[in-house]
Amino acid sequence: MNNSLTIRAFNERFAVLLPVRAIWVLLALVAAIAIVVIWSLMTGSYPLTVTQVIEILRNAPDGKTGTTIVWEFRFPRAVVSVMVGALLALSGATLQNVTRNPLADPSLVGVSQGASFAVVFLTILMPEVGYYYRPLYAFGGALAVAALIQWISVRKTDGATMRFILTGVGVAAFISAGTSAMLTYGDIDRAMTALAWLAGSVHTSNWSDVWITSVCFALLLPVLLWASRPMAAMRMGPDAATGLGVNVKWGRIGLITLSVALAAIAVSAVGPLGFVGLIAPHVTRRLVHAGVGLHLAITAAVGGLLVASADLIGRAAFAPVQIPAGIITAVVGVPIFIWLILRQNEKGEL
Amino acid sequence: MATANTNLRLAGESSRALMCIGAIIFFFALHISVGAKHIPLANVFDAFLSYDAKVFDHIVIWDLRLPRAIIALVVGACLAVSGALMQGVTRNALADPGLLGLLSGASFAVVIGYYFFGSTVMPFLPMLASAGALVAACLVWWIATAAPGGARPLTLILSGAAVTAFLAAIISGVQLLDQDNFQNLRVWLTGSISGSRFEVLYWCTPWLIGSSAITLYVARQVTSLAMGDEVAVGLGVNVAKIKMLVLLAVVGLTSCAVALAGPMGFIGLVIPHVVRLFVGTDYARVVPYSALVGAAYLLLVDIVARMALAPVEISTGLVTSLLGAPFFVWLVKAKL
Repeated sequence: MNNSLTIRAFNERFAVLLPVRAIWVLLALVAAIAIVVIWSLMTGSYPLTVTQVIEILRNAPDGKTGTTIVWEFRFPRAVVSVMVGALLALSGATLQNVTRNPLADPSLVGVSQGASFAVVFLTILMPEVGYYYRPLYAFGGALAVAALIQWISVRKTDGATMRFILTGVGVAAFISAGTSAMLTYGDIDRAMTALAWLAGSVHTSNWSDVWITSVCFALLLPVLLWASRPMAAMRMGPDAATGLGVNVKWGRIGLITLSVALAAIAVSAVGPLGFVGLIAPHVTRRLVHAGVGLHLAITAAVGGLLVASADLIGRAAFAPVQIPAGIITAVVGVPIFIWLILRQNEKGEL
Repeated sequence: MATANTNLRLAGESSRALMCIGAIIFFFALHISVGAKHIPLANVFDAFLSYDAKVFDHIVIWDLRLPRAIIALVVGACLAVSGALMQGVTRNALADPGLLGLLSGASFAVVIGYYFFGSTVMPFLPMLASAGALVAACLVWWIATAAPGGARPLTLILSGAAVTAFLAAIISGVQLLDQDNFQNLRVWLTGSISGSRFEVLYWCTPWLIGSSAITLYVARQVTSLAMGDEVAVGLGVNVAKIKMLVLLAVVGLTSCAVALAGPMGFIGLVIPHVVRLFVGTDYARVVPYSALVGAAYLLLVDIVARMALAPVEISTGLVTSLLGAPFFVWLVKAKL
């Protein structure tokens, strides 16, 4: 085949077939992310030029206002938004592959709500608990809710997607009522902090967010790579997956837990950014056809690009007023979601 | 024989109706009697029968407790009836003004109105809320019918969820720009009943009367619509006209409820199901009973919301969601 590249290593024990087009797409996306990041480093109430930004990034000259602004405020923010986008996109892709449901999104099936509930609980009722425990709490809350939805919606005969989604909607309403109760009756200042966080905002991101997120990301990435093979099998349905030697029950549980963990880290850092996990895998599917591994990499890049651009737009479009990235992703994501509803196939198997 | 049967049925009917009305009166009095200051039921009845401006309890009842109880009554009835009408017309057991986006459309319009005009917008609340609810309802209905397979429960609820998410994002954006708005409306946005909004009830009255008249007129035809459009056409019902009227009634009722008490979820879902268990599927009976049971239910829920964590009050809308969401999940599990 001309349009793909084969890499063989370790005496033919390791071989990958890489479609050239997919690699080009990936490179283009990475370049686009770099451009958006540099652009967002330039934009703001203290504008900088490209050369200044590159100079600051390379040498970090001491004592200049630009250095402080870029290194303390804009750069961590840009890095966090790219990473969070990648995490959410991977979470959405995993969820869609496992549930075989193109409408699955962490915010639709209660994962974001569970994580939000845990974090709002922490922010309002136990402000003395350290900031570093946020991902842990978010993960706990998200996992509990995801398990609850699975447990309610699973029946022996089939894993009907419809019941799964509707149960998610119901459970999400229940959890959101709890979250609003805390927002309504908590101390107004803490509630305002929690509200800003809930709108999905990266503006408070600092280097400790970058560290927490990247450490968690680094821990989960190998797991995800290892899981990409069973995921590829499960995408073809439970019967085919069983035939290919995958333990479907445990594969399902493991992959959903993984997806929940990815979303929970992202949510704990910047709040529930809706619809990124929904859109990114679809955009990727339109762009290229690739194997699961490369597909995941491109999905992550698309997600990073989406959130970084959403943040840039939110900051720049109505300056000096800042619109949280989560509001931008929802406003962009909902029409896409509706479009997906409109073109699902008729069988009810979404 | 036939007369005897009719008599028996009438007797059953009237005893059911009397039971509902009795429950409403009981909860209404209880609602007035409980609170930060407990007022004995005897005093409550006294305040109505022989009002005395010198008795402190009587002033509390007439100025504070009674308006709140009336609002709870009206809101409960409005939401339950609009839920019943929607379930009948969409032939969907999961229809509810909240799930199908009407509540968020109405509250979106109110938040935006408040943002631009401040509290001077109060007299126009019902109108604004109606416009928002109407647009949201049409949007959700259009998306669901345009989807392949038509307006099935899943597509309706997904499009409702999508529209709700979209509007919620804009609402939180507006509230972040304007902290006063957040401060003033955050409790209202969770659905809360308070007697201080009693003046809104006056502005809602024309809408309430109009929607109730339409509701009474269409209730009987909704039964045939619930059997399917073809059956309804066969029975000589003008389907398009009835659907349009139902839409108007639902929008009017929902927006009054939102203007009075904010978006209050799941009442319209729960009550008609409960009512149908007792009176069957004839909407000429389901609709009035939904109004009665909905009013009694919201009075009860409001009592719970005020008493559960006293002296702190919980938003009534949060309690209805906490009770209604598990019911929704159960419906999904049992019926689909």
